[in-house]
Amino acid sequence: MHKTKNLYSLLSLFLLILLAFFFLFPLYWIITGSFKTAQSINGTSPDWFPKEWVLLNYQKLFSRQPTALFTLSIPFSGAFSGTGKDIVLMTGPKVPGAVRWLLNTVFMSLSAMILTCVTASMAGYALAKKRFRGRTLLFTLIVCAMALPKQVILIPLIREMSFLKLYNSLLAVIFPTVGWPFGVFLMKQFSEGVPGEMLEASRIDGASEARIFSQIVLPMIKPGIGALAIFTFINSWNDYFMQLIMLSSTENLTISLGIAKLQAENATDFGIIMAGAAVAAIPILIVFLMFQRYFTQGIAMGAVKG
Amino acid sequence: MKKRILAWGAASLLLASSLAACGPKATTETEKKAESGKASEAASEKVEGASEDEALKADLKLYTYPIGKWGDSASVDSLLQNFNAKYPDIHVTVEYLDYQSGDDQVNTAIEGNAAPDLIMEGPERLVANWGAKGLMVDLADLFEDDAAKDIYPNVVEACKSSEGKYYEYPLAMIAHCMAINKTAFENADALQYLDLDNHTWTTENFFKAVKALHDKGQENVAAVYCGGQGGDQGTRALVNNLYGGKFTNKEHTEYAVDSSENAQALEELMKAEGINFDPALVGGDEITLFRNGTLAMSLCWNSAQQNNKDNGEAGKTNNGDEIIPMLFPAKDGKAELCGGIWGFGIFDNGDENKVKAAKAFIRFMANDAEQAKLSVQTTGFFPVHKDLTDVYEGTENAETMKLFTEKFMPSFGDYYQVTPGWATARTEWWNMLQRIGQGGDVKTELTTFQTNANAAAKA
Amino acid sequence: MDYVQSNRSKILAQRETRSAYLFLLPSLVFFLGFVIFPMILCVYTSFFDATMGKNVADQFIGLKNYTELFGDSIFQKALKNTLIIVLVSVPTVAIFSLWVASAIYKMKGPVLSAFRCIFYLPVVTGSVAVTVVWKWMFHNYYGLFNYVGTHTGVLEKNINWLGDARFALPCIILILFTTSVGQPIVLYVSALGNVDDSLVEAASVDGATDLQLFWKIKWPQIMPTTLYILVITTINSFQCFALIQLLTSGGPNHSTDTVMYYIYYTAFKLYRYGYGNAMGVILAIIIALLSALQFQLAKEK
Repeated sequence: MHKTKNLYSLLSLFLLILLAFFFLFPLYWIITGSFKTAQSINGTSPDWFPKEWVLLNYQKLFSRQPTALFTLSIPFSGAFSGTGKDIVLMTGPKVPGAVRWLLNTVFMSLSAMILTCVTASMAGYALAKKRFRGRTLLFTLIVCAMALPKQVILIPLIREMSFLKLYNSLLAVIFPTVGWPFGVFLMKQFSEGVPGEMLEASRIDGASEARIFSQIVLPMIKPGIGALAIFTFINSWNDYFMQLIMLSSTENLTISLGIAKLQAENATDFGIIMAGAAVAAIPILIVFLMFQRYFTQGIAMGAVKG
Repeated sequence: MKKRILAWGAASLLLASSLAACGPKATTETEKKAESGKASEAASEKVEGASEDEALKADLKLYTYPIGKWGDSASVDSLLQNFNAKYPDIHVTVEYLDYQSGDDQVNTAIEGNAAPDLIMEGPERLVANWGAKGLMVDLADLFEDDAAKDIYPNVVEACKSSEGKYYEYPLAMIAHCMAINKTAFENADALQYLDLDNHTWTTENFFKAVKALHDKGQENVAAVYCGGQGGDQGTRALVNNLYGGKFTNKEHTEYAVDSSENAQALEELMKAEGINFDPALVGGDEITLFRNGTLAMSLCWNSAQQNNKDNGEAGKTNNGDEIIPMLFPAKDGKAELCGGIWGFGIFDNGDENKVKAAKAFIRFMANDAEQAKLSVQTTGFFPVHKDLTDVYEGTENAETMKLFTEKFMPSFGDYYQVTPGWATARTEWWNMLQRIGQGGDVKTELTTFQTNANAAAKA
Repeated sequence: MDYVQSNRSKILAQRETRSAYLFLLPSLVFFLGFVIFPMILCVYTSFFDATMGKNVADQFIGLKNYTELFGDSIFQKALKNTLIIVLVSVPTVAIFSLWVASAIYKMKGPVLSAFRCIFYLPVVTGSVAVTVVWKWMFHNYYGLFNYVGTHTGVLEKNINWLGDARFALPCIILILFTTSVGQPIVLYVSALGNVDDSLVEAASVDGATDLQLFWKIKWPQIMPTTLYILVITTINSFQCFALIQLLTSGGPNHSTDTVMYYIYYTAFKLYRYGYGNAMGVILAIIIALLSALQFQLAKEK
């Protein structure tokens, strides 16, 4: 009995280690590949480890398409600026395109995450704890739209963004992400777990709605917000599709789009693609390793009631 | 404590990046201004030539496809500097497209009401696609200039739409060809099948050579790549030339692919060992495989490829084998090469001033005696002007370009890419090759292609 | 008295409705503005023969787009592929991540976090960056799989993984799988760690086997996590797009087309906006029905 158990755990450990290599490999290959020479990387048999470490791929990557580090402008000001363009307050120093793309991606994912968490937790609380007209209808809409892929509304969305003068801006990617109702659904499920008596008690004590929400509800649904934050951040970081259809000029690209573009433009130069992929992967990897605890802890889903 | 640091970190990150990306269509204004400042000094030297045109003020957006070095920002920047020396107040921002997703990018931009002002590509896109959809400006007045008088008539014809409007002003042209790995052919004793003086071969010899190479252990001789539209002129030219098939009718009104000649070509290609129909590749991938020695032939070749030295010496594969450019095989050895024409078009964004500025840009790049040479050199192809003969004289590529002028350009074939419904026909073409490659019946698939493509031609 | 009472409750109800909508407002702006409104536009346009360009005005053609869809074999193929991707990847992701999580959740801190990290790597690396490597691994001529396969004798000759209709879709599913299991594993590890130990101990004192322990005690407690994982994996699988666009463009011969990719293809390669929208509407109806059904089932439980 004990022996088979040991054998089983040994076997599963072995399998796990094997799988771990399999999962590690793409990243390993990206990083080592980015330091390989063109001959080594285009060779017909793979070089498991760079024979010769070169920085050439990074030099090539970073000499491409310099753009301003940031452009500070007034959103929507194109409507009254006279030229149809937004009023630009200042632009940053020139940096390689890849750096700007990275910054764009961070901005996009963080904004989408924060906006989603704020709006969804408020809406989820209202849906769970308040009785109001239209509640059933709204909830049904949310459930039905939740799993809907964004590709479905691709064409109308482009037209709408163009009408709002948001096309080719990061906001055009952020807003539909925030609108996606999965967050509201998740937050509603979490808010169900907040005991009604507590809310009633503080209401009798004369607490305002805002106070009840921030002092009682928020602390109780915090694990849920954590889960939603991570889900939204990662999803928005990886949401290649929305980025692809909404962003077109070099200074507005995200890192995913940037690499995809590199790949299409340089079919003959795998090294520069690897360098681009490494630049995309390493910063988020570092953030992940540093804050691993926050990524993985406290997401107790016990509060979710299906 | 830790929590607080985290919060501050996140907050400052957010702040920094919110600075980064607020501006939707913000271009790098300040930098452009600085550049134009420099340029205006240069311009003031030749004030006498200043006309009303030179006072034009506009911000233009130019999309270019990777047409030689027109896909490379350093090269294009230097061309723009020359332009800004003459037109200091026309600021051109360039976006570089690729052939894999470039069309989708332009199409989404059009749908998002953010089409570029200027675009550089061939008539198949500018005339047959966006022009036919009423999105482009008629450039007839450019063709009335004296400078336009010596453009080859067949090129002018290709730039004209079926309603007689000119949606493209041409700059450069080439006859696309194929190439072989000389060393591989030598090893298989297959050089005997080539006419190396004229760079031609017959269909019979082509298949003999493929067999010889395959028997000699060259597992993959050539790939009929069909993962997308990239480099599809190569597969079209191969199939059409083998037994004298056509792609469209003479009048360019409908597609004529469904013929016994093309069927025979496809069947023979399917049968030939060493030739794979590969839906995982597009033209660019095939070139990579040819350059690293995996394939012994490339169907996607031209003078710019022959001169490319990104991976070593020009005209050599990565490990130094000599590359010989060849015409496509034909029954009588006389192939009709698929031409490429590149030039500029203007999107109709409803701004007269921008159109004026864009025309000034085109005139400068394609007509100005000195600049046109540089513009053409940057493409790596040939000028469309008869009288512009010395573009490559004295450059390192002179010899190769002479070879292409003498042996390849005379075979420049019918420019059928302007047939209506071209974008759909292209998509149908690689889809058809995929189906055939996966075992579809050649005749049925040709019929399906023809039906779908002609439906698009009539729409 | 009664009158006063009901009047008062009416006022209270009004007040509650008002405050509810105040809480809902920010979310509704985005939801209605960027999901529901485009969806309505989508339905509207699906009745037109809409295309790009200024020459042709959109023409009302009634249900013609829809009737054409039912005869479109590529659409049917794409629908089938979409369902295959979802039906295969959702259960495998859930089962695999549960297995990994239960194998590692009792390990020592650093070992546990090392494993957790490794399985999470493809998620943070980003689908596009990962895809670049996978494209090379599956490459017909110098890819890793063919190299290792032919050198160890497993494969007789090179397989054109992404270029062969038999293998392309499984390859896509495999890549999707590696980029999907990261989060479920993390979630399961924390859920298993939160299982009430005293219950487990009590049961094992009573002589319950491992299997019984799992099904009777752990499984019910991690049920909410499982539901959450099923939902997010379903959403992710439906949205699988980058892999297809970058690896196969739907080929060979549409064997990896999904409805989502086919909509994009129809719109920007064939310029048939109305037709693409009709596809979107059909897909939306199917997904909405599935979601409603799933939700109803969960509610009854």
